[in-house]
Amino acid sequence: MTAVMVAKGLAKSFGDLVAVDGVGFSINQGETYGLLGPNGAGKTTTISMIAGLLEADEGEVRVGGDLINPRAVTPKRRMGLVPQELAIYPDLTARENLEFFGRLYGMGGSELADRADRVLDVVGLHERQKDLTKEFSGGMKRRLNIGIGLLHNPELLILDEPTVGVDPQSRNAILEAVEELSRAGIAVLYTTHYMEEAERLCDRVGIIDQGKIIAEGTRRELVEMVGEKDRVSISGTGPLAEVVRQLSSTVGVAEAGESESGVTLLVEDSSSHLAAILSTAAQAGMAVSAVEIEQPDLEAVFLHLTGKALRDV
Amino acid sequence: MKVLAIARNNLVRLFRDRSAIFFVFIFPLALILLIGLQFGGTFAPRLGVLAPSPGTVGAEIIENLESADGVEVVALSDETGLKEGVERGSLSAALSLPADFDERVAAGEVSEVGFIARPGGVGAALQPVVAEVVQRSVLAANAASFVAAQDLATFEEALVTARTIESQLPASEVQVTTVGEALFPASLGRFDIGASSQLVLFMFITALSGAAVLIQTRELGLSRRMLATPTSVRTIITGEAGGRFLVVAVQGLYIMAGALLIFGVDWGDPLSALAIVVVFSAVGAGAAMLLGTLFRNAEQAGGVGVIVGLGMAALGGAMLPIQLFSPTLQRIAHLTPHAWALDAFAKIRAEGGIGDIGLELGALAAYALVLLLAASWRLRRAITRP
Repeated sequence: MTAVMVAKGLAKSFGDLVAVDGVGFSINQGETYGLLGPNGAGKTTTISMIAGLLEADEGEVRVGGDLINPRAVTPKRRMGLVPQELAIYPDLTARENLEFFGRLYGMGGSELADRADRVLDVVGLHERQKDLTKEFSGGMKRRLNIGIGLLHNPELLILDEPTVGVDPQSRNAILEAVEELSRAGIAVLYTTHYMEEAERLCDRVGIIDQGKIIAEGTRRELVEMVGEKDRVSISGTGPLAEVVRQLSSTVGVAEAGESESGVTLLVEDSSSHLAAILSTAAQAGMAVSAVEIEQPDLEAVFLHLTGKALRDV
Repeated sequence: MKVLAIARNNLVRLFRDRSAIFFVFIFPLALILLIGLQFGGTFAPRLGVLAPSPGTVGAEIIENLESADGVEVVALSDETGLKEGVERGSLSAALSLPADFDERVAAGEVSEVGFIARPGGVGAALQPVVAEVVQRSVLAANAASFVAAQDLATFEEALVTARTIESQLPASEVQVTTVGEALFPASLGRFDIGASSQLVLFMFITALSGAAVLIQTRELGLSRRMLATPTSVRTIITGEAGGRFLVVAVQGLYIMAGALLIFGVDWGDPLSALAIVVVFSAVGAGAAMLLGTLFRNAEQAGGVGVIVGLGMAALGGAMLPIQLFSPTLQRIAHLTPHAWALDAFAKIRAEGGIGDIGLELGALAAYALVLLLAASWRLRRAITRP
């Protein structure tokens, strides 16, 4: 795998406030990396340094091998930034916004016109391209906000909380677009505090809190790292005490107990052991009517690592 | 290229804003029209005269008043109209001759004439003129009255003789010599002063209102987004300054062209006028950018911009001609770029060329340089710091 972006030892302080403290990670081609953390964790400061908007006190960022900082102009051609705020001109049309930023990316003429057409198609705004963006809904503005970041075919797309304040339909459209970009080979850096987005989109996740990445890996790796287990609820009738006794000694089952509707288990990697568990329950005389699996999510991981719920921070 | 794209963007956004179009393009010309109609052009004070039965002497007074320079005589028929005319300002002053004026003069009696004017102003200044005309007109009548009283001739015969003799007497003339320069050239058109004043006033206010646009650009995250593109901070700052400059310069040139074509305003040497507009636009661009970096929200900057713009215009002579200021206040006025720009316009209207306004252009260029450098430093900090 080719690393498109490599950040090493990034640090940034504002007076006595240490905003980012030794953050480092890399993103490979076609990979979506999620930077997950609460507001004030250092996500936006980290992104600002990666995008070359902010000078790092320590550390460095390289994109495609080129050093990135506020003075580096040409290497920024490799990146597209979708900021958290709706950074579009309200008194320009969708197309004018695209063409303006396209010119800043050094594009012009038919190349710019073609790319603008393509992006308008991708973000579903071709029909509204001549409308002033102040007449757009929040979701349409968000989509255009993303479109501007895509306009010049970047190698690395940085999306800073792109779905904040978006209706479910537009949100889903945005997530699908990001998945499509990833499939197209673009490296994506995605920050969010929405767990389900990180779980859906990200190949790897870095959990950032108080300016430090406290854990990094795939969702499964993170779950295993903190020892969180799947909760399997089996509904049914039969000799439940016997069923619990036999399931307690089944491989993968860490804990078993009776519940109102049947039995409840804590299982390591339920997808691997579910068939054996159901077979054991049947052999113990249980008539199974339903099975429900709750896998530990990143919320649980975050809670485990920081001692606080992500949404409450 | 990128600088032009950023600058052009500002211009496009200006033309999209309907309220801005009114204040930038329509309102200035409307004010030039109103001020020109109200205060511009030559002015003859109107003197109302009420003479129910003027007689020979009264008719002579009216004739002499009508032949006096710079006074427009308006005949009135009743006392009420006379007073109301002065009170409402349609008349500068009014003269009332009693119905028995001629009889009393012929009889050698004292006859009082009425003079009505508002306190101060042009009307009051007319009083000595009217008094001189009345006294001169009754001089021959008084002589004739004396002769008639001695039974040497009838009043009418004596009056004819007195007037003949009066016309043959050597007249004393007062030679008037003016020193120094006139406050306003005699060739000044009705709209000329108002046009240049409104030009600098509105160019500067429009420029300062651009500060709010600059803050909005930062508030929306557009400046940071521009910085995330392969565009240097210097290019962004130059583009934004160019945008402000273009907006102000377009307005300035529009007002000049509009005032020339619609009101026939004489701007003087076109090249010099263009140079003033260009340099003053740079001053405005610098001031707008500096203001835009001193405040955090557009509302604050917009409010302060209008206050600063109007205040500097008033101090700089764009509301009241600087020639009417005291010498000390005139020196203070030259702390504003407005005063230098208006001086330059005054010079080129008086047949001056580009070589005659070097000092004024230099002063304006210095303002522009200082403001743009300070604004660029501040804007760089604003863009590159979170």
